[in-house]
Amino acid sequence: MWVNYLKAAMRNLAKQKLLTLINISGLSIGLACSALFILYALNEFNYDRFHPDVNRIFEVYRNTGKIDDPDRSMDTYLPMPLGPAMKTDLVDVEEMVRMRGAWGDEFIRVDGKVGKMPLNFADPSFFRVFNFPILYGNQQHPLQDHNDLVLTRTTAVRLFGQENAVGRTVEIRNGEEYVPFKVTAIFADIPAQSSIQLDALANYELLSETAAGERYQNHWNRSSFQTFVKLVPGSNLAQDQPRLDAFRQKYYPGEEAERRSRGLWDREGIPVTYGLMPMAQIHTNPEFFNGFASPANPETIWLLIAISLGVLIVACINFTTLAIGRSSGRAREVGIRKIIGSKKRHLMFQFIGESVLLSLASALIAILLVNYLLPAFNELANTNIDFNFNRQLLFFLVIGGLTFITGVLAGIYPAMVLSSFEPLKIVQGKLRFSSGNTFTRSLVVFQFVLSTALICATLIILKQLNYLKSSYPGFNKENVVIVNADGVDTRTIGPRFKQNVLAIKGIEGVSGSELSLGEGTGWSRSGWNDGTEERSAYEYFVDPDFLKVMGIELVTGRNFNPEIAADTINSVVVNEAFLRAFNWTPEEAIGKELKGYYESAERVLPRVIGVVKDFHYRPMSEEVSPQLFHQFPDYLPHKYFIRLPSGDPAPYLTAIGKAWDEVANNIPYNYAFLDENLDRFYQSEARWSKIIGWAGGISIFIACLGLFGLSLLSSMSRRKELGVRKVLGADVFALIYVQIRNYFVLVALGILIAVPITWYIMHGWLQHFANRIQVGPGIFFIGAAGSLLLAFVTVLFNSLKEATHSPIEAIQNQ
Amino acid sequence: MPMIQLSNIERYYTTGLQKTWVLRQINLNINAGEFVTIMGPSGAGKSTLLNIIGMLDQPNNGEFLFLDEPVFQMKERHRNELHKQYMGFVFQAYHLIDDLTVYENIETPLLYRKIKKNERQSIIAELLDRFNMVAKKDLFPSQLSGGQQQIVGVARAIAAKPKLLLADEPTGNLHSTQGEVIMDLFKQLHAEGMTIIQVTHSEKYATYGSRIIFLEDGFVRNDERIGS
Ligand SMILES: Nc1ncnc2c1ncn2[C@@H]1O[C@H](COP(=O)(O)OP(=O)(O)O)[C@@H](O)[C@H]1O
Ligand SMILES: [Mg+2]
Repeated sequence: MWVNYLKAAMRNLAKQKLLTLINISGLSIGLACSALFILYALNEFNYDRFHPDVNRIFEVYRNTGKIDDPDRSMDTYLPMPLGPAMKTDLVDVEEMVRMRGAWGDEFIRVDGKVGKMPLNFADPSFFRVFNFPILYGNQQHPLQDHNDLVLTRTTAVRLFGQENAVGRTVEIRNGEEYVPFKVTAIFADIPAQSSIQLDALANYELLSETAAGERYQNHWNRSSFQTFVKLVPGSNLAQDQPRLDAFRQKYYPGEEAERRSRGLWDREGIPVTYGLMPMAQIHTNPEFFNGFASPANPETIWLLIAISLGVLIVACINFTTLAIGRSSGRAREVGIRKIIGSKKRHLMFQFIGESVLLSLASALIAILLVNYLLPAFNELANTNIDFNFNRQLLFFLVIGGLTFITGVLAGIYPAMVLSSFEPLKIVQGKLRFSSGNTFTRSLVVFQFVLSTALICATLIILKQLNYLKSSYPGFNKENVVIVNADGVDTRTIGPRFKQNVLAIKGIEGVSGSELSLGEGTGWSRSGWNDGTEERSAYEYFVDPDFLKVMGIELVTGRNFNPEIAADTINSVVVNEAFLRAFNWTPEEAIGKELKGYYESAERVLPRVIGVVKDFHYRPMSEEVSPQLFHQFPDYLPHKYFIRLPSGDPAPYLTAIGKAWDEVANNIPYNYAFLDENLDRFYQSEARWSKIIGWAGGISIFIACLGLFGLSLLSSMSRRKELGVRKVLGADVFALIYVQIRNYFVLVALGILIAVPITWYIMHGWLQHFANRIQVGPGIFFIGAAGSLLLAFVTVLFNSLKEATHSPIEAIQNQ
Repeated sequence: MPMIQLSNIERYYTTGLQKTWVLRQINLNINAGEFVTIMGPSGAGKSTLLNIIGMLDQPNNGEFLFLDEPVFQMKERHRNELHKQYMGFVFQAYHLIDDLTVYENIETPLLYRKIKKNERQSIIAELLDRFNMVAKKDLFPSQLSGGQQQIVGVARAIAAKPKLLLADEPTGNLHSTQGEVIMDLFKQLHAEGMTIIQVTHSEKYATYGSRIIFLEDGFVRNDERIGS
């Protein structure tokens, strides 16, 4: 039976080539969109599952309760002795591994050549807890000695030009000297879907040998390291909070009582405890800062999927409305089939089958499209997905299911309408058809609601983005070059470098600072307690030239003065937000001491000498937070901010490079522009504007494709009427007007509905930004006019063709 | 026992506040094996009557027994089964499915009756042979003349071996030689025992049958048996 249907369907599709093309292209674009985002979602939700024991692996986190905040905060920077203590005290802990992520790039030397490489540290149990297969070298104990080093395959090839670099030496710079490390094993490249990403791994034990490490080794109050545990099979430790609480209390016996007595805790239970986060959930837990690969927010993932399904629905609607639009052409077939014995069920089956067939064909094209578009998508979404036909079985199942559902959804309404035609009326030619009913008209309206909303949303995001990027952040971000001095002994070299740079004609100023601005990690934060409340501020180590070079305004007090010795010991400059946090007026602030800044009382307390105007050193989307500048002696500059005169920076960059090479023996010259760095704050907004912009563009394209098909059908069916009107004397404009009037109403209605919805949603979105644009009617006007114009041009095409047809031909053809 | 018993069948349409009567007090018995011709002026209600007998339409009053079963009291499922099992239709406008070939058009009713493939093939082969259409089996309706299309229409109508063949002006769109071919086919089918009810305007084609019913303004004006 289905062969019979199939033949009728195929021939019908072949006859209506243009409509079939519209349907297939719309559906395949819609399916490709959804497929990409589903691929993305599957990818994100599948992180870390390549460890066979993933269900037994957990990352330990500290769970801190606050008095006025029901949410507890989680952090994964834990003290050094924690892991070993867990292994000893808790029988469920089969293995533990402590890790320290790479702190920027280390300088290395291979065969005398200097290069850079990020270096991670982990306990030797790393390879027993996780599944990172060793390809060459010591399988059993790869990190036995303190100077053992393990590389990934790609890193080995990069450094040595060959995979098997076992036995070779990498010299890693420590202070002023290079320390040799022996490569003991090469392990397979880490899959993209791994939260743990690293190039090279050294022995964690080595850290305890350093000066800082010795202090940290048995210190329960210094936290810099991640700890993972592997539990014995069947363990319920992760759910057994009392046991974790007891463990915490063992090592911090007085903590609860102390916090309660200080009024920092008043609820039941203990204020600080530990928790175990399942490995498989780390990646999609946005609050869970794990310090390795950046996590994904499931809300974002679902939002993207929702948008892509929206595009797919727009394509589905084309199928539905076009099928209804040409139902008069199929009606006769329905009538005859019914009279010669077909049941309604048969016909439903036949028509839904047709649309499933069409969506299957579209799915094949969609998969080709996905394959072709994936690189562009990876760039757009900042992902690293590869499309592997064998490994993506789940993907194909999902896409298969989606294709089927798409086919059924698109086909069900036309099938219902067509199969319920009364055969007698059709055969007698008494059924009157219109090009659509209220239902299909509302579908068209929906298409334009969605498309217009996406377009307006894109415009709003773009405007906000532009606003963030172009507003004055409170300092002069133009024409500043940041030279990266990581790994350079700036205590000795810094002053010479500054001198050399200042000697270049035109350079307006140089300042050394510990941190850059605008990079994800470009800030530090310290919390202290001034005796009453927890305080925190972003701290910046800077030199006296910083305020001048950056163009930051002083409100009151004074800047650091190189002549005053105390300025390098305890003087600090704070911003206005800092004063607000402490409830100080600028006048009061000068001379105030920051109580509780140090744990021990011996050191001289920091004292405020100046207040600067708030400026945006973090993204403009955030409120300016308390900030303090100091030049305490135990810090060193790692970045140099150099103000160039406006104009072409190229000659200055070369000159600065020369100045650098003179002082920094063999360390490569590395610079960035401050304004470009700052723009990186807005990467995610920029990405969203692109993604939503694409979705909006595609959906309006598909919607217009559908409109084109509909107007084609209706113009054809109105050919005779138009001919008669023409004979009666209608001019081309009148003829076009009668044809496009209806579509105009539908599109305009869609736009009218889209505007308030978009306004509401985007208004909510903008609330995330401390500094935001006002959404006025202008932006909606542009979006609406764009949609309307596109729709108009689409419909005009067919109308014009019909309006200029010869009327005689049209009438005679009946 | 007559195959078809119509008693006091009435059919009207309401247009606005007015009732337009199409069929009035129709009382008819038709036996299996009869070849009935319905005649009458245009608008007399011939097609309406034929459609009621074919269970495509329902009267407003009256009773219709088909093989002694009351058609309009039975469940729709059952009625559809009767329709499917006993009736074949031939239309003035042929009504072939444009997207199917001659062979596939004839095959379609057989598919709806779940007839096995090799049996289908032999039925269709026989029909094509009998109607001299073997060479045309892979053509589409648009590639045939009107007469040929109607021959396919007849072949499709009788493919599932209905007991009753209903034909509404089957020759209305054909010129006379083509019309005669169709009428000869009907005569043969009748001779083989098929019950046929046709509507025609042609006195000549009426003489192919065994009984003529004359309708006017919805009433049966005349009902005569003719010898042939
Ligand atoms: N759906 C309908 N609505 C209103 N009037 C109808 C409808 N169908 C048929 N008629 C009317 O019923 C009358 C009989 O129609 P019909 O049975 O087709 O006549 P015939 O086939 O004898 O020419 C005609 O006057 C026709 O206008
Ligand atoms: Mg008629």
